[in-house]
Amino acid sequence: MKKLFLTGLLLVLSVSFVSAQSFKTEEGKATFYSKVPLHSFEGNSEKLVGLVNLEDGTIDFYIDLETLDTGNGKRDKDMKLTLETKKYPFAEFFGKLDSDFDPESSSVQDVSVKGTFKIHGQEQEIEVEGTLQLTDEGLHVTAGWILSLLDYDIEPPKILFIKVDKDQEIKIDALLKPVEG
Amino acid sequence: MIKTATTLLFSLFIFSFSQAQMERTRANPDGPVDETFLTKNIGGLGTVQLLGKGDLNSMIQHNFGDVRGGIDTFFGVDEGANVRIAFGYGLTDDINIGIGRTSEEDNIDFGVDYRIFHQTKSDRIPVSVVLKGNMGITTGEKTYDPSLTERLNYLGSVMLARKFNDNFSFQISPMVSHFNTVVKREANEELYNTVFGLGFAGRFKLNERKSISFEYLPVIGDRISDTKNHAAIVYELETGGHVFQMFFMSGRWFTEQHLLTRTQTDFFEPNFRFGFNVNRVFGLL
Repeated sequence: MKKLFLTGLLLVLSVSFVSAQSFKTEEGKATFYSKVPLHSFEGNSEKLVGLVNLEDGTIDFYIDLETLDTGNGKRDKDMKLTLETKKYPFAEFFGKLDSDFDPESSSVQDVSVKGTFKIHGQEQEIEVEGTLQLTDEGLHVTAGWILSLLDYDIEPPKILFIKVDKDQEIKIDALLKPVEG
Repeated sequence: MIKTATTLLFSLFIFSFSQAQMERTRANPDGPVDETFLTKNIGGLGTVQLLGKGDLNSMIQHNFGDVRGGIDTFFGVDEGANVRIAFGYGLTDDINIGIGRTSEEDNIDFGVDYRIFHQTKSDRIPVSVVLKGNMGITTGEKTYDPSLTERLNYLGSVMLARKFNDNFSFQISPMVSHFNTVVKREANEELYNTVFGLGFAGRFKLNERKSISFEYLPVIGDRISDTKNHAAIVYELETGGHVFQMFFMSGRWFTEQHLLTRTQTDFFEPNFRFGFNVNRVFGLL
């Protein structure tokens, strides 16, 4: 029994030590681009929260949508109404690395990630291409993909004059610091 | 021993699994409340709602003659409009400047709003407080030849507002107006250069795009002869780019110093005029 317990403890501790291979940020940058002639704009937030666990390959990112700033208070309000941020405050991705990553290398490595992206209360399985780079400061993550608003039942109210691209380009850029302990 | 060990093991499992997906927490739970009012003005009364940094608001305000003229004047519309065209700009999220021109008396006014406190979602700060200053210059023809100083009029106001919930906001704004020159037209007319008032304003949100608002501006203390307290009831409609405000108001003006000292129709008589404002915000940054 004692042996079994010790084995269990060892197993659990080994999982716990995964945190030594974990990287986290609460200040990542997320940008979306809406490109319609004469109505193009972009929105930014520097409150992207991300956790990457290199041991088991899990990737977890989310953002409070109310932190997105398009540079125009009125447009921000319309965006929040369209995304129904009071009801669905977060956009989130949870998935796993789907390609090899060499933790010994400090060069930029192309990776792909598969997982679930959720926004506006709707979920879709997506695959995202990006890069990972281990530096002295932590893990630098970049990624980009096209988000189709219709896939997530996001439709700007008809009354809005603002023209919004149905396909929005999303980019994230974050430096994740090693998680202590 | 076994029980303790099992508990420890279980706790570690929980800890390990809790690493899998982070708990989602709001980025700014103590942030400022948004949209206490829809715009910087309701009918003629200013609000604590300031423009964000870099936002330019263009506003056209109109009202017509009083509705008692009936169908002969098409309920005042035939009597001509008083129009104020104004621009406001957010220097920062807390400091706005503005300029406006009113067709009545050709009054050009310059304004500044400075937010001292912004109500927070957590209620750590329960009210928003904005200081408002406005200075007008009457540039129209006069029966005499006033100097520049004699043409000046001023307003100072402290606006205190609270958004009680998503659907209701209320504001109180003590204010003082001062005119460097007041002109006596009748022998027994009582005139005052300085007049005090206490503005009340409220907004009932009907849905994300529509609301009903009101404003009431009683004079406190000495009032100029034959003037009444200004009041207005306003229907507000927001579209993507514009905020339209349609109202019945007793005052003829859109600057509070004039609403306090020039209003001669009594809303509760009832007597008022129809008017509307069109607001459009542009992001310049």
